[in-house]
Amino acid sequence: MSDSSKNGAPIAPVPGSTTGTAAVLRANAFARSSSSAARNDRIFNVFVWALGIIVILFILGLLFMLLRKGLPNLTWDFLTGLPSEIEEGGGIGPALFNSFYILFLSLAISIPLGMAAGIYLAEFAPDNRFIGFIRICVEGLSSVPSIIFGLFGISLFVDIFQLDLTILGGAVSLAFLNLPMLTRVTEESLRSVPTELKNASFALGSTHLQTIRTVLIPVALNGIITGICLTAGRAFGESAVIILTAGVTTSGELWDFNLLSPGETLAVHLWYVQSEAIVPDAGDIAQKATAVLIMIVLAINLVFRVPLWIKARRMKG
Amino acid sequence: MKKWFKPAALIALAVSLTAGGASVASAASSLKGKIVINGSSALLPLTLQAKSEFQKLNPKVKISASAVSSIAGPQSVRKGIADIGAVDWDASVDVPGFKKFDGQVANPVAVTVFAAVVNKNVSVSNLTTKQLQDIFSGKVTNWKDVGGSDANIVVVNRKFGSGTRVNFQLKALGGQDFMTKGDNYKETGSSGDMKTAIETTPNAIGYIDLPYVTDKMKALSINGAAPTEKNVLNGTYKVWGIGYFMTKGQPTGATKAFIEYIQSAKFQNGSLKKLKFIPLAAVK
Amino acid sequence: MLEMNAQSRVIAPAELGNSLRQAGGDPLDRRSRLRFFNSTFKVVCVSAAVFVCLVLFGILILMFRTGVMTFETVSFKQFFFSTNWDPENGHFGALLFIFGTFALTALTLVLAVPVAVLIAVFLAEITPVWLRGALRPIMDLLVGIPSVVYGYLGLTILIPMLRELTGRDLADGLLAAAIVLAIMVLPTIARISDDAISAVPKKYRDASYALGSTRFQTIFRVVLPAARSGIVYAVILGMARAIGETMAVVMVIGNTPQLADSLFTPTAVLTSNIVMQITSVEFDSTWNYALYLMGFLLLAISLLLIVAVRLLQKKGAKAS
Repeated sequence: MSDSSKNGAPIAPVPGSTTGTAAVLRANAFARSSSSAARNDRIFNVFVWALGIIVILFILGLLFMLLRKGLPNLTWDFLTGLPSEIEEGGGIGPALFNSFYILFLSLAISIPLGMAAGIYLAEFAPDNRFIGFIRICVEGLSSVPSIIFGLFGISLFVDIFQLDLTILGGAVSLAFLNLPMLTRVTEESLRSVPTELKNASFALGSTHLQTIRTVLIPVALNGIITGICLTAGRAFGESAVIILTAGVTTSGELWDFNLLSPGETLAVHLWYVQSEAIVPDAGDIAQKATAVLIMIVLAINLVFRVPLWIKARRMKG
Repeated sequence: MKKWFKPAALIALAVSLTAGGASVASAASSLKGKIVINGSSALLPLTLQAKSEFQKLNPKVKISASAVSSIAGPQSVRKGIADIGAVDWDASVDVPGFKKFDGQVANPVAVTVFAAVVNKNVSVSNLTTKQLQDIFSGKVTNWKDVGGSDANIVVVNRKFGSGTRVNFQLKALGGQDFMTKGDNYKETGSSGDMKTAIETTPNAIGYIDLPYVTDKMKALSINGAAPTEKNVLNGTYKVWGIGYFMTKGQPTGATKAFIEYIQSAKFQNGSLKKLKFIPLAAVK
Repeated sequence: MLEMNAQSRVIAPAELGNSLRQAGGDPLDRRSRLRFFNSTFKVVCVSAAVFVCLVLFGILILMFRTGVMTFETVSFKQFFFSTNWDPENGHFGALLFIFGTFALTALTLVLAVPVAVLIAVFLAEITPVWLRGALRPIMDLLVGIPSVVYGYLGLTILIPMLRELTGRDLADGLLAAAIVLAIMVLPTIARISDDAISAVPKKYRDASYALGSTRFQTIFRVVLPAARSGIVYAVILGMARAIGETMAVVMVIGNTPQLADSLFTPTAVLTSNIVMQITSVEFDSTWNYALYLMGFLLLAISLLLIVAVRLLQKKGAKAS
């Protein structure tokens, strides 16, 4: 949405440079303290640019450090191979597959639930104290350490349902972890849609559902997608919940869709390799696994964002 | 899962009994069942290696393992959410900090050696039990008091409940309590964190399982004996412990076969040695 | 506002056209169908919300039910007002963890929020479009790096650096943890603020520029106040993550149960203590109960801070 606005509406004469602004100001007889305002503006511009460049350099440095050793050594065998405990050259195949599988399952559970709950909070819920309390509770829950979600998952799936350590238990526990964030992001994005739009839609005779579906969600989509990307990234890197509910073993097969198999994910494998593994190339595996994790998070972002970009481009044309 | 597992296990047991003296592997090839293992993360590499080998021989046995801490092993077994609880000490007797678990059988699986390790910059290379006790209880705070250079000692400890910690406390410190506070004292959560902390912190002392000792740190001799397999076997290095698989009562079925596989001479002298554990039969 | 109009213009006629086309049939039929969809949708939303609440309250109850058993053996006063945490000898003073959590969160926010908001301004208002398109996904990327990796970097790069700078033997402590956390929450705060700032209707900016404001004035007097709600929400999310983060914190905070009297004293916070000990204690022990109680407390603290941030926001809104 915002992207499209920036690309699509070149009407506003946004001052491109400091000198331009200053010129505008000098021409403006009404601007009283124009010289100090222009100075502030210049200082601010320089400051923000400097900060922006520092942070960009910092991020790039961080990424470079994390990717430098891992990325060039990635091989197909590493991505698809089975892990090894003794000899060098173990792969991450099953863990990688489980990562995607668990992420997919957990998102498939948490996105519809979280969005529906967010829509309820933004559109249907009465504006009273109780709902306000629920809202704050949901926010508060995103601060509960993931290990507590893991313990909840254990008592639910292992104790009550007697399922042992399974992909299913891991995915659902992970979905619980995602819920607060998704719910609140959806609600917050829907709320930021201007009321005029909603009113216009109602005035045209749309029902509430039609308004939500065709006006609110498309307009709020950018925020929602950001929320989903952040959630998916965090879920992909999550280890504590999975260790407790899905275990640190894989079934040893690459394509195991069985929901009741143990489901070690890539992040868990990374934790294992970094904290306990004895394999001589543990450090190497950790670096490569980190590189793979980062590249996949990048890919997830692209998958979610590309449709937005295409839409923005279409709107522009 | 327990409900159908029990009969299946019984049948499997009957099959293996009728097979009589045949080796575990061939008798168990029709073995079915599911084994859930939880507990010590230090034993995890061993468990994972044994799992992949065992599953090749018994494709119908499903094994899943998780590892959070030693004490979680016997606790999960007591709660009935795991069939095997891997633990770094004998949980059927009392140890410092933990009571015994009644009704559980400790099946020994491997011998682990523990080493006191220091950062490369520390000049000391041998400590007596008394010196170790003084350092880890916070009585001695400078390396010069134990024959090193004039520098503050940074003590790195494992968290409470770590199997390595229990063993080190029992075998190297004679059961004496650790310090708990101080500007130069920290605790780490895993062997990997301990390794990194010792490698990167000058003047640091800690302890770690022998397989994790790298050439970026220095393993100390204790009472004149270096932490090597040879010294463990000839009895001069005493800081070692046995890792156990706890089961509820005597193990049965697939669980029994799995434990027997790990205890078998083939695994003990093969993969287990490669993982730098010491075979059970070697120490008596 | 222009862009909003553009969008609704695209959608509304299509919707209207649909309505007209469908209205060609039996109008009553369509109306009842729409009503059916509407009410079903509402029911779905309500039940989803109820389910989310159930999960949340399930977790709350799990923590509270187990946690409250602490008080069978430990006095209320000891738990909240003692700094002596020595469970092996029966002392359960959690004050030092509570203090640590507050201090760490405050320090993290002080480090992260100003930078994050400026970065958001930079992303939303100042960077050229091509750079923005490249930077946003990179920021999102940082969120996905597992916390163990951040912790590892903190342990191997940050702490040796701090040790050099301060000349201490051990630099683990609040500052190291706060820096690692600040780096971790920075992208979350920056990206959600960025979206909030981008969502401020363009007409506000146009009006401000038309009145002769500089960009600096426009951003600080018009855009940021207009985006305040979203920015506050971003700060809350970042704060919640900072309070609840564990895996990275345990690697750099030192995990020593003592009150942090300086930025470099090895100490512990609620989360680090929970994660270090909860799997290592016996299920039916006061120690275990106390850890669950600390989990519950953690939630209470974050609720308190969230309410505080919201009140501050309201106050600020009235003042301006």
